[in-house]
Amino acid sequence: MRLELKGLTKKFGSFTADDDIDLVVEPGQIHAVLGENGAGKSTLMNMLYGILKPTSGEILIDGEPVSFSGPGDAIAAGIGMVHQHFKLVGPFSVADNVHLGREHTLAGGVLAAKAARQAVLDVSERYGLRLDPDAICEDLPVGVQQRVEIVKALSGPKTELLILDEPTAVLTPAEIAELLDIMRSLAESGTSILFISHKLKEVQAVADTITVIRRGKVVAELEPTASEAEMAAAMVGRAVTLQVDKTPAEPAEPRLEVKDLTVVNAAGVKALDGLNLNVHSGEIVGLAGVEGNGQTELARCILGLLKPDAGHIAIDGADVHHHDPARRIADGLGYIPEDRGRDGLVTEFSVAENLVLNQYRDEPFAKNGVVDAAAVRKRAVDSIAEFDIRTQSPDEPAASLSGGNQQKVIIAREFSRPRRLLVAAQPTRGVDVGATEFIHNRLVTERDTGTGILLISSELDEIYALADRIAVIYNGRIVGEVAPDTPREVIGRLMVGADLGGDADAETDPRTRPDDDANGGDR
Amino acid sequence: MATDTQVPPAFVGGSAPARHMKAGVTHAVLGLFLIAIAFAVLGDDRLTHIAFDRTLTDLDWALPTQGIVLALGAITAAIGVWMVLGIPQRRFKPAGATAVTAFVLAILIWSYSEPGAVFRAESILAGALFLAVPYLFGALSGVVCERSGVINIGIEGQFLMGAFTGVLVANITGNVYAGMVGAMLAGSLSTMLLALLATKYQVNQVVVGVILNLLALGFTSFMYDQLKKAEGLNDAYGIPTLTWGPLADIPVIGPVLFQQKLVVYVGLVLVFAIWFLLYRTRWGLRTRAVGEHPAAADSMGVAVNRLRFWNVTAAGLISGFGGAFFTIANSLAFNKNMTAGLGFVALAVMIVGRWNPLGVLVGALIFGFTTKIAQDLDASGSALVPGEFLQMLPYAVTLVVVAGLIGRAKAPAADGVPYNPGDK
Repeated sequence: MRLELKGLTKKFGSFTADDDIDLVVEPGQIHAVLGENGAGKSTLMNMLYGILKPTSGEILIDGEPVSFSGPGDAIAAGIGMVHQHFKLVGPFSVADNVHLGREHTLAGGVLAAKAARQAVLDVSERYGLRLDPDAICEDLPVGVQQRVEIVKALSGPKTELLILDEPTAVLTPAEIAELLDIMRSLAESGTSILFISHKLKEVQAVADTITVIRRGKVVAELEPTASEAEMAAAMVGRAVTLQVDKTPAEPAEPRLEVKDLTVVNAAGVKALDGLNLNVHSGEIVGLAGVEGNGQTELARCILGLLKPDAGHIAIDGADVHHHDPARRIADGLGYIPEDRGRDGLVTEFSVAENLVLNQYRDEPFAKNGVVDAAAVRKRAVDSIAEFDIRTQSPDEPAASLSGGNQQKVIIAREFSRPRRLLVAAQPTRGVDVGATEFIHNRLVTERDTGTGILLISSELDEIYALADRIAVIYNGRIVGEVAPDTPREVIGRLMVGADLGGDADAETDPRTRPDDDANGGDR
Repeated sequence: MATDTQVPPAFVGGSAPARHMKAGVTHAVLGLFLIAIAFAVLGDDRLTHIAFDRTLTDLDWALPTQGIVLALGAITAAIGVWMVLGIPQRRFKPAGATAVTAFVLAILIWSYSEPGAVFRAESILAGALFLAVPYLFGALSGVVCERSGVINIGIEGQFLMGAFTGVLVANITGNVYAGMVGAMLAGSLSTMLLALLATKYQVNQVVVGVILNLLALGFTSFMYDQLKKAEGLNDAYGIPTLTWGPLADIPVIGPVLFQQKLVVYVGLVLVFAIWFLLYRTRWGLRTRAVGEHPAAADSMGVAVNRLRFWNVTAAGLISGFGGAFFTIANSLAFNKNMTAGLGFVALAVMIVGRWNPLGVLVGALIFGFTTKIAQDLDASGSALVPGEFLQMLPYAVTLVVVAGLIGRAKAPAADGVPYNPGDK
């Protein structure tokens, strides 16, 4: 299929999300659309998929103008979409999810379960995407859920164009590599692919051509040979340093000591299994690992949201077992949670209110139990300027901000009071290049003032960019502590629990559990 | 892909026995209580009479009360001890259910051992099924709504509208079956309003439901006063009991299943019909998808709000028909607030039945049975357990079930959440 967009524009009131977008996808081509959060990529795809109606402009398929009044029309025209937030009904089987909306039926609307299973098997065989049609989606690892999404998108009556919206955001490195392989083989078999992303390495690895969007406009057409710096500059609109400048660490006294920490989760599995870890002042310890190996539980234990079943945590040399989170925060613990929507922000509250969530009880923000709105607002205005938070006003609800700016609100809040230890979990998840650069630099500055930082990240790039020491977590244990110049392969093997000579497969890890976001909890 | 060299995660528990101190001690105490009662209160000459009052009228079973209560008490206590000492995880829930059943049975047998009391098995079971009917219809209506993602807390109001309109239409047309159809339409009119507000205007569904209940109560009470002024608008109309020839003479099964009113059969058929529709048809797949993850359904071309609207409107037909139970099935004229909160109990039945029509049937039968027992004990004058106390039983059952004895009741994920196209 040859897809052409001509002057596609979408306005929401006075705000123009997409402005006069031109774009051509040739048959069998992987066309990447690069852009920061809020650049208008998702709006563009939603118009293509019939979810939103364009304000003006047209969509041409093989030269014919089309107009979609809903996703059903787009599917009928041969477009399949894999959404950033998976659109899978958790308690349904794979087969039911795949044929939802275009069910295989017998007479009278009775479901033909066998035909539905067979159809899944056919598609998964044709494209080499292994799937069990009877598996329940919410029990599957994220990578497999995404495979379900791809099979679903390919199961349209004649899918010739696949839209992948930020498909790697939730995947582990091994799953990403597999996805890129799948994309290449799909393109070889003639399927056109629109690949939405802000991850430069992946775009470079897989795209045939690249369109860069900034603030709703096409700003550049690049070849995949373009350097990362070029792409980043086009996305952000200025030169971006991808390397973080930092001096060697000067670790001093221990700030965090975790000893034999064990947590048994509700399913009776040891999420943390006698974990030991130290973080000293003035260093960034990077905790690498495939998600679901105990990182979440560790962070929650340090903050005090989770009571360990065994072991000790000391902050600044003091055992904090009996301290509640408020006490730990007051004593100088900073926390950037991995799920900002759930643990980091009250999204209905204003930006200003979110900025003082951990200090609203203290002077000058409150006097005698009454919040001083003027002081809160002044702090908000200052923080918005200092941390370059893009918001219409301090009174805007946090929910209306883009992911990167929401993250800046959290960073601003955590950095605007003295602290001795910072736990940063996935600090740049879903955050674009410009904001990532900013956050990374702040973390290094923070380290240089003597804070101990525990950086939990599933992105090896981030670990390499920031960490002064790398600890690898697997199955709730630290399986290795290595220097930051250790080769990727070595860490990669540690991450999947293989001994250094062995070989392993991250994807079959039974503990790589889907997160809420992926199975329909995202509302 | 490469071979898997991982160590399986360390399991704690699994199928290994686990201790349940609180549940175990509770059951053990209940069991000991029964044993103590058996020795202290019940003499060894106490008998519980069970009669088959409709078919084998001359048969009279007399069971030794003390022995049975002792045995049931021992079972309950033993399960309690088992739980304290350690019970395999998968046996925990069945064991708990057994213990509770044994305890309730013992109390029943004790209650019916009072002088003069007879457990008329056939009347009681047939009555239990009949009394399950309103719960059945109310809960099934709730299942259809909530599976689609709309909370219908207005079942009570739909009952009232159905009960009232049924009588009125029957009086006007002179045809009781036309009255039933009228009841259905009245219920549907009420849910259509809910559907409209919930989908098009995205109003909070619980608030709408409460308002609809109050509206129905006010409207029917007002109309009742108006109808009193005229003759022949609120007279009782009834439906006959259907008797299936010789089938009705089979002991126990006959009176219970083959000698009932039309509403009972409609209810039973509806249970299986809705189960089939929900789990085996295109409509059901889409309905469940819309209730679990509307954005997913939308992205596959399912018109979420349109499906919700029609499902909720159709569900009103069911709860409206359930309203006709109060008047037409009982051959009664309409009276103010005659549904007496059973619409809310129907919601509880829906939760006990875990939003599944088959579960709803079980829940409705439990509620119908306890209601019937309460009535019967009251009438027989058994002084042992006050009737009011027994009437608490359905609610106690709900509390126990919802609190997680039989399993955590999990609502559809998008239940009560309005859907805007374009939402994630």
